[in-house]
Amino acid sequence: MDAAQALEELAELSSQVDRAVVIRADGSVLAATPDDAAGAAGAERLARAALDLVATAFDLHGTPQEVSRVDVELGEGALFVVREGGRTIAATTGPRPTTGLVVYDLRTCLQRIGEEPKPKRRRAARKPEEDGE
Amino acid sequence: MRRLLRLVVLAGLAIWAWRALVGRHEHSERASVSYADGSSIVLEPGSAAFERLAGVARGAFGPSAR
Repeated sequence: MDAAQALEELAELSSQVDRAVVIRADGSVLAATPDDAAGAAGAERLARAALDLVATAFDLHGTPQEVSRVDVELGEGALFVVREGGRTIAATTGPRPTTGLVVYDLRTCLQRIGEEPKPKRRRAARKPEEDGE
Repeated sequence: MRRLLRLVVLAGLAIWAWRALVGRHEHSERASVSYADGSSIVLEPGSAAFERLAGVARGAFGPSAR
């Protein structure tokens, strides 16, 4: 499944997620949820905020340690950043989200990216039985 | 005695209302960070670390939210 499809599925499944972006390891935006009001600039802004948040969270730890998740809940809404397997997903929600559920949805979305669709089982064509001669 | 009792009840109600209305709002803001080694921190408003994270996070909500 590609990143755009995974985000589409996330938007369908999670009623709490307003906007989301998947960010490549180099910091560029891989895919974003469709957002007519903010457009591409909105996705870039969300990605930049997510990367800055990870950098700030990295500085908070005493020893250099990779950040796997950051969530900040504010009066106007919440920002979640989840990192796994070299990819980062960031999402905004409204105020007072169900944190565990949102994080689970984001993690699932990341795991779906690059996942090969399960091949359909095909029954082997039967060989025509040979008549014993 | 009855006046004192009434005062105590009123004070109790005022404290309950304060906690229910203002206290709940205060606790709606928080931040948490998890690291690859399994450690995590939870930050509450008022701490310098929370204000740093909140300042960055507000950027995601656009100029109108700032």
